[in-house]
Amino acid sequence: MPLDLVFFILLLLVTYATGSLAERLHFKNLRKREQWSRKMIVTNFRTLPPEWEVTASGLVTGSVVISVDYFKRILAGLRGLFGGRIHSYEPLLDRARREAIMRMKEEALSKGYNAVINLRLETSRLASSGKDGKGTAGVEMLAFGTGIKRARQD
Amino acid sequence: MRSVDKLPDDQVNVSRNHPLSEAMTLIVGLCLIVGLVSVVIATSVDLLAPLVSPKAEAHLLEPIWEQIDKQMDATTQAQAKEVTSLLNRLSMHWVDRPYRFRLGIIKEELPNAFALPGGAIMVTSGLIAKAESENELAFVLGHELGHFRHRDHLKALGRGVLFNLILSMAGMGGGESVSLLGTTGLLTERHFSRDQESAADRFGLELLYREYGHVAGGTDFFKRLRQEVEGGNLTKYADTHPVTAERVADLQKEAQARAWGLEGALRLPIGKRR
Repeated sequence: MPLDLVFFILLLLVTYATGSLAERLHFKNLRKREQWSRKMIVTNFRTLPPEWEVTASGLVTGSVVISVDYFKRILAGLRGLFGGRIHSYEPLLDRARREAIMRMKEEALSKGYNAVINLRLETSRLASSGKDGKGTAGVEMLAFGTGIKRARQD
Repeated sequence: MRSVDKLPDDQVNVSRNHPLSEAMTLIVGLCLIVGLVSVVIATSVDLLAPLVSPKAEAHLLEPIWEQIDKQMDATTQAQAKEVTSLLNRLSMHWVDRPYRFRLGIIKEELPNAFALPGGAIMVTSGLIAKAESENELAFVLGHELGHFRHRDHLKALGRGVLFNLILSMAGMGGGESVSLLGTTGLLTERHFSRDQESAADRFGLELLYREYGHVAGGTDFFKRLRQEVEGGNLTKYADTHPVTAERVADLQKEAQARAWGLEGALRLPIGKRR
């Protein structure tokens, strides 16, 4: 077997292992933090619920840059030949969304807010420097909203 | 308004099928398609190659030949003269030959020989040095003449061009999956050339018989090469010309079937004659 094919397969196997481990650990960590911050209200309502008494408010953001492993990128490349849903990118985007929201919540808490309204999400693709900037190095997910400090919580 | 705290759903946005099984499906599908395309290309090239006239084919060689001629020095040119006369004697036995054969010698330790489109046979100086009799060299030359007879070199060229074309097209859409494609194409190509090798072998053996009246020495070169391969020195010649016990046995069987003598007087090798 030619050496570059051996190297290619080896790289696929190694990155599959490292990629799935990183993914599993991240999901585990996300679940823990989501459980811990579940009391904090985060909504995408544009306006305040009328009964809330607000003492302070301000912009809160959370962003994350995240990449998939080589194996999943190859898998997505194959999908690009055949067409169909790119399953291998789904965990990437799910992780990015949840991590960005978590970071936003953490920022809100550190600023003394106890709720966030008008949550919005933005995604942008980061192109890799190699291959004429065509390849995907990763995505940035930005979560932002209005942090609210409620006087009394019920 | 009442609020209920709920954890994010961590199942709905992520498909539950296993990435490895998806990868397997896609790779197997890709290999099937590439294999199918390769077979279609190889068959159509094999059908079309005989339609190209040898004259048009010789035209292809001109620019390459100039370069080959330039790199030959006085010693290799003197050797080339001798080998060319052997080649001419051999090709006389192929009565309706459509080519004017030419011979070039490449300075290279590793024994190797190959045919270029247009009637050129390239031999390395290592091959001439390794041959222990003229008969051995004659068989190698006869084998290459056999490739011309079946126009294998032209088919190989046509395949190469088409495969490269398809690879570059897939490269635009496929990104990193290209290296996989290339290997599958190569493997299929190699399978085809094995049949061509044994056909060229039979033709070489026939020329050897017509020239010397026996086929002694024909398989000697392979036998010695095999010992080297088994000894761990994989040569370039063995790379493109798989030297198997099967191949030697096939040649011997062919010689027996056509009542060609396997024993006979060998002639001294070129370069060791004086």
